[in-house]
Amino acid sequence: MAKHQTPLLDQLESGPWPSFVSDLKQEAEARAKNERNIEYQIPQDVVEDLMGVLELSYKDGTTHWKHGGIVGVFGYGGGVIGRYCDQPEQFPGVAHFHTMRVNQPAGKFYTTKYLKELCDLWEFRGSGLTNMHGSTGDIIFLGTTTPQLEEIFYELTHKHNQDLGGSGSNLRTPSDCIGQARCEYACYDTQALCHYLTNEYQDELHRPAFPYKFKFKFDGCPNCCVASIARADLSFVGTWRDEIQIDQEAVKAYVAGEFPPNAGAHAGRDWGPFDIQKEVIDRCPTGCMRYEDGKLEINNRECTRCMHCINVMPRALKPGKDRGCSILAGAKAPILDGAQMGSLLVPFIKVEEPYDEIKEVIEAIWDWWMEEGKNRERLGELMKRQGFQKLLEVTNIKPVPQHVQEPRTNPYIFWKEEEVPGGFERDIKEFRKHHQR
Amino acid sequence: MAFISSGYDPKEPMKDRITDIGPRNYEEFYPPIIAKNKGKWAYHEILEPGVLVHVSETGDELYTVRVGGCRLMSVTHIREICEIADKYCDGYLRFTTRNNIEFMVDSKEKAEALKKDLESRKFPGGSFKFPIGGTGAGITNIIHTQGWIHCHTPATDASGPVKATLDVLFEHFQNMDLPAQVRVSLACCLNMCGAVHCSDIAILGYHRKPPMVEHEYIDKMCEIPLAIAACPTAAIKPKKVALEDGTEVKSVEVNHSRCMYCGNCYTMCPSMPLADKEGDGIVIMVGGKVSNRISAPKFSKVAVAYLPNNPPRWPEVTSTIKKIVDTYSKDARKYERLGEWAERIGWEKFFEKCGLEFTHHLIDDFRDPAYYTWRQTTQFKFTD
Amino acid sequence: MDQETANKLVVEALQKKQKTKSKFYFSDLQDILGMKPREAKKYVNKMVEMGILEFWSSGSTTMYGLKGTGKQAAAEHED
Repeated sequence: MAKHQTPLLDQLESGPWPSFVSDLKQEAEARAKNERNIEYQIPQDVVEDLMGVLELSYKDGTTHWKHGGIVGVFGYGGGVIGRYCDQPEQFPGVAHFHTMRVNQPAGKFYTTKYLKELCDLWEFRGSGLTNMHGSTGDIIFLGTTTPQLEEIFYELTHKHNQDLGGSGSNLRTPSDCIGQARCEYACYDTQALCHYLTNEYQDELHRPAFPYKFKFKFDGCPNCCVASIARADLSFVGTWRDEIQIDQEAVKAYVAGEFPPNAGAHAGRDWGPFDIQKEVIDRCPTGCMRYEDGKLEINNRECTRCMHCINVMPRALKPGKDRGCSILAGAKAPILDGAQMGSLLVPFIKVEEPYDEIKEVIEAIWDWWMEEGKNRERLGELMKRQGFQKLLEVTNIKPVPQHVQEPRTNPYIFWKEEEVPGGFERDIKEFRKHHQR
Repeated sequence: MAFISSGYDPKEPMKDRITDIGPRNYEEFYPPIIAKNKGKWAYHEILEPGVLVHVSETGDELYTVRVGGCRLMSVTHIREICEIADKYCDGYLRFTTRNNIEFMVDSKEKAEALKKDLESRKFPGGSFKFPIGGTGAGITNIIHTQGWIHCHTPATDASGPVKATLDVLFEHFQNMDLPAQVRVSLACCLNMCGAVHCSDIAILGYHRKPPMVEHEYIDKMCEIPLAIAACPTAAIKPKKVALEDGTEVKSVEVNHSRCMYCGNCYTMCPSMPLADKEGDGIVIMVGGKVSNRISAPKFSKVAVAYLPNNPPRWPEVTSTIKKIVDTYSKDARKYERLGEWAERIGWEKFFEKCGLEFTHHLIDDFRDPAYYTWRQTTQFKFTD
Repeated sequence: MDQETANKLVVEALQKKQKTKSKFYFSDLQDILGMKPREAKKYVNKMVEMGILEFWSSGSTTMYGLKGTGKQAAAEHED
């Protein structure tokens, strides 16, 4: 017999999509049975109380959680989010229900051995409920009590060689796409760079001293599968600067219908036979391709590397060989002054160990933002407030037309004194010699 | 329930403390075939919805079976995933950025056996545990935030609306029958801890009432200057208030016309709650994307200003989304993302074709960028 | 500046403001110390380790306070 009746939640058990309610119920049942004889360190009926509180929210249309800002592990300013239920008498099992963010491995590959170790730990010292994964990328341990936080951290670091992720005004847990591990489009090793920078900047990740959050995300190509360009303060998007590699025989095979276009992504509907002119040449945003006499030509100097032709014909086309990444700065979600997309800062940079050039860009930006950023101002907002020129100045990057979509439409240029011959100080008496008052 | 120590000594927190070790090294977790072929993949193909093959220059083939997963996942469920990966995948697996699970094997035969097993597993309530799909020109998993299960400022639930929406859109999860992929995302309040602002379809929880102020308790529970400083629009001011018994207390006043309902004050100060059954609901935004393919990345635009929270299945939300997806599916060209389609036909046509009402709420009036969204040309289309 | 001088500066400055608020941004501490952010961070980290300062996090923003002070501890039932 369930501890709380959940008639509303129960209606989410039907339908084809995996039901989180069914999963909660199976976890509640597993804890009640306790076949492994676990000495649970938080209430055994925690999941039942969680379902109870969620059912209550379904009934009254409001949340029943309060924020907690104090709890954490000693010396770290991030990685733990405090949560308290506002109906603790009714649902004592979730009275304290804090979240821990566990830094996921780059690429999100796992061995079952490791996942099972985490499960054992979390079932013993927490609710047994997780998010695989949170929005930023961390493994989320959902719900434990205050005394367990240090115990879990101790076990993570001592037994599992595993650290927490970020929260608050610090470097947030960086995340990456699958990259070269299993994608032919990736122009650099996203896992290597993500892992390296995460370790290099552990102090920034755990001990907040920034004006606000700061995110790195790593996309291997302009398809941007981890959405770096929309949400990372610094996004690293793989690209190339030479010619797209063409296998003309494979192009012919696509034209002949031997290979499915777009790797078969459109197979669920009859779109008619593949038409290279209509589907590739005419859709190229720069019109830099043509197909004549069985031969595909690309004017690579005109190409903006949008990936469309490569996506449509992955067996025939590949990114060039001179690969690296573009760095874009300042993306953020809308709060507060509206959403901002990343703005191109470094058009091309090689991604090679020990990544010194990349670190120079990062640290120059941090120095500027830590000095000039207002409290709770994201990098993108500082860029808006002080101007893109300032960002170029602090990173010592030369302005190029690639930095803008178009030049300014107003002439209100704030000239620097040293840019104007003779400077701003002038001799008014000399002026009056030639101009009457 | 006896307390069992990990070895940590609360009296000496720094003793033997290990810090700053970062995540586990990804190389420990690569399946051998990935370690061997990393950087050497020649091409890939989606063999059927949810099943991919990657072919390496070395001649190796890797078959991936992708299944939908709930972001909210129990250890019991994770152990079942591990059991499957142990049986078929030598103990390796991975998760995608959109909360899907990927099982990888090195032959077609193994992939077939794996598929059969995955399809056979269902929860007692009837839902699939591991639905195969989420590839190509269809709808993959909805990424989302915490909602009522864990967050203190949500204007809606997350797991519930996601389950309800994916039940309605399920055919597109298992069929690649749309003009292009449609990325659906949910954030349970405007702070968007899950960035949904560049999604083809965004489901966004939104409060519509300013916070209440509990004058009697606010100065006891909160530090008033912090609550004031937390407000991004400077809508909160200090104010002395006389209680019913005549005592004068320090409190605050909220300028209702400036409040954007973000809940940041409630985070700092539990005496300023803002959740409300009638006030809270969902905004539908459409037409965003993050890919640079063909056109530049775009922000999502508000298509429906408000839909009510109607748990447990949010029918108003799911039917609106279904209507948008169906119209897009019928009307858009191959490879055209939802936002590219809306721009090609014109937003006035988008509202007409989708049968959505256009109201004053949809005209931007928030700060500078608003001006650039008004129509500054005589070119427009007439609609019925 | 040695750590002790830094501790004293910060503790005195924060105590003076206790009447109105107990939580401060990193930039406030940096101003008290009169240092560049990276320099100030070293001292502030040490103060956390010594148990003089503690963090308070809104989840998105982090603040600092003298350990055990302020109204949050009672409001969050962590006192």
